[in-house]
Amino acid sequence: MDRLIDDRNILDLFCEDFCNIINKHCRYIVVSGFFAIASGRTRGTEDIDLIMEKVSLDKFKEIFLDLTKNDFVCMHPNNPEEAYEYLTDKCSIRFTRKEKELPEMEIKFAKDLLDEMQLNTREKYELTGLDVWFSNINTGIAFKEELLKSPKDLEDAKHLRVVYAEKINEDEIKIIKQMIRKLRL
Amino acid sequence: MNERKEHLYQVERWALFVREHPTEWKKPHTEFINALFDKHEQFKERLLKTPGGKEKWEKLYGHKSE
Repeated sequence: MDRLIDDRNILDLFCEDFCNIINKHCRYIVVSGFFAIASGRTRGTEDIDLIMEKVSLDKFKEIFLDLTKNDFVCMHPNNPEEAYEYLTDKCSIRFTRKEKELPEMEIKFAKDLLDEMQLNTREKYELTGLDVWFSNINTGIAFKEELLKSPKDLEDAKHLRVVYAEKINEDEIKIIKQMIRKLRL
Repeated sequence: MNERKEHLYQVERWALFVREHPTEWKKPHTEFINALFDKHEQFKERLLKTPGGKEKWEKLYGHKSE
């Protein structure tokens, strides 16, 4: 991937290091706020949200070990079996770099058709300068406008609509919003 | 209401800058993001030097204050 941009901030480095490890084992997407921030939105965040495909316990143990070997720590729970239970119960777990409270990576397993669709339509965005898989732009906007809806999320959606204007597909956004209403609301 | 509207205009203005200057937006953006984390670290150091600071930090971030 050609890079337009060389300046990496703390969130970029944290995200890319973490995702490089996950990418060796399974499919994932970074969703929500960090997508907007990596696309230039000027706001802070303490955590990055990541959805990964559901994997077996054995595979998850490999991932957990690989993350640990690379100085990432699961804040709670601190063993792979319990962490796997959290994930299969549709809860999230959080990783930080060893000895750093922030930033955090919040991980969930894909839990329904919408998450599967997001994994299947994931994209890399040159403007971010990051070799990271993100949710599709239209999906990202639909979630922010239909499900999350806080002022911060609506501003993120506005930002994404301007920055990626040529990629916006209103029909697709409408369909995803319908799916969100059916599956999540 | 006007404040909110003005803020949305500001969001839009910056988004247009990012769109139109794909190689220029990143430097100030990186400085902004890094400054937030630098502030966090500086505050942690100051708080840990105060009486009860360690306990407060542990309340905020669990067991990871060492």
